[in-house]
Amino acid sequence: MTEPSRRSFIRSASLACGSVLLLPSCRQQPGGYRFFTAAEAACLVAFCEQIIPGDESPGATDAGVIWYIDRQLSGVFEYDRESYRNGLKNLQSLCSVQFEKNFERLAFPEQTTLLKKLEANQLTAMEWPTGKPADFFNLVRSHTMQGFYGSPIHGGNKDYVSFRMLRLDDPLVIGQNRYRT
Amino acid sequence: MANKHTNAIVVGAGAGGGIVAKELATAGISVVLFERGEWPNYDEHPNDELISQRSEVLGSPFGPDHLKNPRVLVRKDGSRQVVTPIRGGYGNNAACVGSGTVSYGAMAWRFMEEDFKLKTVYGAVEGSTLADWPISYQDLEPCYEKAEWEIGVSGDDTQNPFAPPRRKKQPMPPFEYNQEARVLLEASKRLGMHPFPLPMLRNSIPFNGRAGCIRNRTCCGFACPVDAKNGTQNTVIPVAMATGNCEARTGCMVVEILVDDHGRATGVKYFDRNNQPQVQTADVVVVSGAAVETARLLLNSKSKLFPYGAGNNYDWVGRNLMGHAYTGAYGLFDYDLLDFAGPGATVAWCDFNHHNPGIIGGGLLANEFNRLPYLYCGVRPPGAARWGKEHKEFQRNQYHRTAQVVGPIQEMPMFESRVTIEPRIKDFWGTPVAAMSGERHPLDHEHCKFLSAKAEALLREAGAYQTWQSVGGQGGPSGGQHQNGTARMGNDKRTSVVNQFGQIHEIDNLFVADGSVLPNGGGFNPALTIMAIGFWVGGHLAKNFAGTKFK
Repeated sequence: MTEPSRRSFIRSASLACGSVLLLPSCRQQPGGYRFFTAAEAACLVAFCEQIIPGDESPGATDAGVIWYIDRQLSGVFEYDRESYRNGLKNLQSLCSVQFEKNFERLAFPEQTTLLKKLEANQLTAMEWPTGKPADFFNLVRSHTMQGFYGSPIHGGNKDYVSFRMLRLDDPLVIGQNRYRT
Repeated sequence: MANKHTNAIVVGAGAGGGIVAKELATAGISVVLFERGEWPNYDEHPNDELISQRSEVLGSPFGPDHLKNPRVLVRKDGSRQVVTPIRGGYGNNAACVGSGTVSYGAMAWRFMEEDFKLKTVYGAVEGSTLADWPISYQDLEPCYEKAEWEIGVSGDDTQNPFAPPRRKKQPMPPFEYNQEARVLLEASKRLGMHPFPLPMLRNSIPFNGRAGCIRNRTCCGFACPVDAKNGTQNTVIPVAMATGNCEARTGCMVVEILVDDHGRATGVKYFDRNNQPQVQTADVVVVSGAAVETARLLLNSKSKLFPYGAGNNYDWVGRNLMGHAYTGAYGLFDYDLLDFAGPGATVAWCDFNHHNPGIIGGGLLANEFNRLPYLYCGVRPPGAARWGKEHKEFQRNQYHRTAQVVGPIQEMPMFESRVTIEPRIKDFWGTPVAAMSGERHPLDHEHCKFLSAKAEALLREAGAYQTWQSVGGQGGPSGGQHQNGTARMGNDKRTSVVNQFGQIHEIDNLFVADGSVLPNGGGFNPALTIMAIGFWVGGHLAKNFAGTKFK
């Protein structure tokens, strides 16, 4: 394969799966996303990675938090669908106007600065036309924490990564008296 | 085909109702024990923090169905919001046989003598309906003993100098202290406090045909995988059913108590598990649905002599809704002190329940149940990051190094904190739902500040290098899993709902036997007291029942 072809192959593969920089496993859910478009997911994956970044232990992307949020929006969190559609749209519009780039393509510190503005409601109605930015920020923050630290059966916390970070035995061993005096 | 008449109906198979059913059935009285939920399934939602009684983020592990059972929250500005069990402010109790006694933390507290006569001890409180109970601790003492032995309690009250008098010890030895408790123990003694092992409604040894506790870390908020946690579903209710006199009719939603034109209860209307309306007649009806649903049921039961709801001619049904504001402190240590032997709460202090200068009542302090990962996301000192790398580092580095001391504050009852009916919102079966409204008494927050300060001082003395308080008692109304107060016990029908035996004033064959009857909630988890009320009301009924036998 020649150089340009390989580059374009990787780029198209990234766009199909989600983020430019980090690739959450597409095989985590057969059939792909139930709710998000690929473009929405790319933005949200980067947002969640800001909430719980990878460092010496995996972050939100590696934990597959996007799959938790995607799944719950088709179930118990159906009330939040509008908020996600509008919130992600607002975020991308804002980035496209201010930086001429999508949110997921901003440098990490730029993303952090922008999200702090959302959290503090420091955006005008022009910049954030529907709803309050802080409400959307807090929604994504809560869902990210749930998807990262909750049980893997709900779609996130892949391979119990957060439990391993917290030095908890995974899965929980039942049937023994584990107490040591 | 109509249901066969029964001697007694009990509505709600929880801490109070299960015991009433057993007291009646073992006395030869036929009982239909209604429960809107099902028998608890220990294999569903094991170790799932997001579907647990403490964090109902994705659902309630034991119901009720979050789409079928809305309530309404009335805010301070009068605006109304529909809430479901998984969306904040609902104040859910598990809807299953055993109810909260399946999933609770299972602390097993007797109220102190003072808790039955707060007005005598402390005087009237301006703006509060604070009143003495019509019964004393001594009246209820034999019932506490029955609850401890028939449900099963591990503890040793001789180690608690503030414990009320008792005739018989607790049946099982107390649980050992965990590492967090040992860290706090000597420090508390240096401060003049009196630590002792937390009494628990759990088997510390094999008891009653079931296993001893395996120290499972996911305990509080979960069903026990080895059935070592004691509730009414694995003790008194099977005993009641074994007599042949008790039918547990699950999946049935009781919607109205039928009261005839002479002011006599004749039975209940309910929807069966196929959502068909049915009627069950009985000689006596006992309501044990917990403070919110019991008030709702009484208010929805209108009749000729009680146009505002059963027993509500003086507008006290639904009033004085209380719960427990939790208040305490956290401390960070520079070594690991989390041994994760569940459930995590092992040591307690009753030094601050009563006779604190300038404080009415008070509350117990204990080291808290294990903080599971998602809950721990919210455990941060003031000013700490709420997200990002700093938040994650705190989670990773401090998870094993955080101690928490916390307790339930005795709340001041407020007439305007109440349960009413919202006629415009109906549940799945078409029944108007409960609306919770009102504010806490301002003293609740002051009392919480007092208790949190004691908790923080203890953590400092124990060597925490950083401490911070978490002070409750603001906003309102109260309620939640410790809900109580809405069918107050009293001697005067104009300022109470039931008499000293839990009998509705003016409806002789209608009783309430749950937390609704408590005039105040103590500075203690209320489950054992509610169980004692079950024995108290059930015992009275069994002794005085003069109806026909039903087989």
